[in-house]
Amino acid sequence: MKVAVLNFAHGHADGYLRHLHGIAGVEVGACDPEGFRQAESLAEAGSPGGTVFFGTYEEAAEWADAVVVCSENAKHREIVEVAIAAGCAVLCEKPLATNLEDARAMRHAAAAASVPLMVAFPVRFSPAFATLRERVATGALGDILGIVGTNNGKIPRDRSWFTDPALSGGGSIVDHVVHCADLIDALIPQRAVSVIATSNRILHPHVATDVETSGLVSIEYDSGIIATIDCSWSQPESASSWGGLTLEVTGTRGSVKIAPFAPHVGGYDAGGETWLPYGSDLDAAMIDEFVSAAAAGTQPQPDADVGVRTVAIMSAALESARTGSVVKL
Amino acid sequence: MVLKVGIIGAGGISHSHAPHWVTVGAEVSVYSEVGAESLANEFGLSVASSLDDLFENVDVVDICTPTTTHAAIAVAAIEAGKHVLCEKPIGRTTAQANAVADAAHKHGRQAYPAHVVRFFPEYVALKSAVERGQIGDIAVARYSRGGEGATSEWFFDDALSGGIIIDQMIHDIDQARWIAGEVVRVFARQNPPTVDGAVPRNVVAHVTLTHASGAISFIQGVWGPRGMQFRTSFDVAGTDGTLRFDSTSPAASTVDENLTSVAIESSYLPPTSAEESPYLTQIREFAAAFEGGPPPRVTIEDGVLAVAIAEAARESIARGAAVEFDADAVLGSEGALA
Repeated sequence: MKVAVLNFAHGHADGYLRHLHGIAGVEVGACDPEGFRQAESLAEAGSPGGTVFFGTYEEAAEWADAVVVCSENAKHREIVEVAIAAGCAVLCEKPLATNLEDARAMRHAAAAASVPLMVAFPVRFSPAFATLRERVATGALGDILGIVGTNNGKIPRDRSWFTDPALSGGGSIVDHVVHCADLIDALIPQRAVSVIATSNRILHPHVATDVETSGLVSIEYDSGIIATIDCSWSQPESASSWGGLTLEVTGTRGSVKIAPFAPHVGGYDAGGETWLPYGSDLDAAMIDEFVSAAAAGTQPQPDADVGVRTVAIMSAALESARTGSVVKL
Repeated sequence: MVLKVGIIGAGGISHSHAPHWVTVGAEVSVYSEVGAESLANEFGLSVASSLDDLFENVDVVDICTPTTTHAAIAVAAIEAGKHVLCEKPIGRTTAQANAVADAAHKHGRQAYPAHVVRFFPEYVALKSAVERGQIGDIAVARYSRGGEGATSEWFFDDALSGGIIIDQMIHDIDQARWIAGEVVRVFARQNPPTVDGAVPRNVVAHVTLTHASGAISFIQGVWGPRGMQFRTSFDVAGTDGTLRFDSTSPAASTVDENLTSVAIESSYLPPTSAEESPYLTQIREFAAAFEGGPPPRVTIEDGVLAVAIAEAARESIARGAAVEFDADAVLGSEGALA
C-alpha cells in the first residue's frame, strides 16, 4: 500500500505523515511542490523506510494507491481531481472545498471514477462522540430538540493562508463550522434547511484584516431541531491549549455535553499554566480508517456526501453573515 | 427608621425574597390571594387583608406575583407613593414594562427589576473584569441556562408567562447587555414551537444578539425534563482574553449525602451554597437604595430593555428572520434622557 501526502500547507500534514510511517505495510510518499517543508524535516519524520519524494502531484498520484490532500482550501479541488484521475483513494482536509460548486464536482469525480473520497473530520473518531451517538441512537435523550456546538481555537497565525480569503475561502466560519456540522450530520438523520449567521472581526484585528474572526451560526434542521455553532478563533494566544470542541445535545429526556479535547492533566511549569492532553489520537484513528478502507476498496466515513452538506452549511453561513438574511438550503 | 416592605404574592419566588427582607431588618407584611398565611408563618411576617391595607402600611412594595400582573400592581403601588421592587420580567410586554418606568419617573418613585443574576458572584466577577478591561474589547459571548422546567402551570401559558424567552432567558438577555452593551439586532429560534399559546413542557430556545459595538452574544435556554439539574454557564471572549464559568464544575463542596434509591427532586432554582445568597445581596442593595443610599446596579430601563429584547426575539421566531432593535426607540424620549 502506497500512501502519499500531497501539499503541506495544512498543519495536520506532519502528523498524518508521521502516523502513516507507523502503519505496517504502508510505503509513504510526499509531494510539497510549494515548499512548505524542508525535505530534511519531512525525512526526519520518516521511518527506516524513509519517504519517497515527488516533484509534482501527477507523479505522486501515479505512484500512490491513496493520497492525503493537505493544501490550502481553495486548491483542494485541483489536487483531488489529479489524484482521482490517477485512481487514488483520497482523504481531503476539511472543508472539502471553499464553495458548493467545487465540492459537488469533487464528489461527482470520485463517484464517476469509483474511488473513495473521505473528508478529514477527526472528531468523528472520538470515543466521547461514539458514546453520544449511542445515547442518541438508543433514545436515552428522547427526541432531540436543540444542539449547541463550539469549536474555538487560536487563530492559525503561523499559517498566513488561513486568513487570506483567496486561499482559505474565509475566516473562522470556514475553518470551524464544518467540524460541528459534520458531527450533527452524523448524529441525527435530519438535514439542514436554513442557516443564519452573524460574525465580526473584533479579535486579532492586526492579523486577520480580510476575514471574520468570530461567528455564531444558527442552523435549522428539517424536523425543527435547532443548532447554533460558535466557530470563533477566540482561544487567546496566552492559553496553554490550542482550544477545543464541545457539542451539547438537549432532548426531551435529557442532555449530554461532550468535550473530546477536555481530558488533560493540568499544572504549571516555568512558562506558566501547562496542559497535557491525553486520550485517543483522533487523527491516527482517522488515518487508520482511511488506509484500511482504501486497501479494501470501500468508502470510509465521513464521505464526500457529508463533505458537500457541510460545505453547503458553511457557504450559507458566509452568505448570511454578509447579507443578514436567512439562507435556505 | 425601619423599612416597611409589603410583599405581594406568596408563590415560588417570594420564598427567595421574604427571608432576606427579614435579614436586613425590614418590617415585612404580605398580601396574596393564596398562601399569605403560610409565607407569613414561615418567615415571621404580618398578613395584609387587602392590597389597599398593604399599601397603607408600607414604604416599599415587592411584587412576586405571576408575570401578567406585575405592571398593573407596580403602577398602582407607585401611584400610591411606594417604591417598587418587581420580580422579572417587569411586564409581560414592552408596553407594560414602559408603563412602570413612566409611572416611576412621573411620581418620582424608585422602581427596580429583580434581575438577580447581576448579584451572582460569578457574573459579578465577569462584569468587574470586563469593566477593568481585563479581556479587552468583547468579541463573542455565550450564555446558557437550563434545568427542569417550571413547576407552576401558568409558566406554560404563553399569554401569562411569555414562555421560556421572557421568563427564563431574560436573565441572560440582561447579562448579555450588561457585559457587551446595547443590542442592535436579534435572531431567535425555539424548538418545539409554541402553538396556540401552549408553551412546550420541554423546550429549547437559541437567541443571537448583535451589539452596537459589533460584539455578538449567544444565549441558550432549556426547560428540560423533570430531574434535570439546574445549570448555568458563560464563555466570554475579548481581544485580550477569555472568561468562562460553568456551574457544573467549580463547586466549593462536592457532596453525596442521604443517598437512597429514591430520586431526590431537583430544584428549579440554583443550588445553595454556604456563601451569602445572591438573593440576599440583591435585597441588601435595593433596601439601601430605598433608604436613600446609592443607586443599585440595575435600573428600571434595564428591566424595560430586557423585556423589549425578549419580545424582539419572539418576533424573530414568528418572522423567521433577524429583527433590528433600537433601544432609544423602546425607551422613548423620557426613558432615553433618564
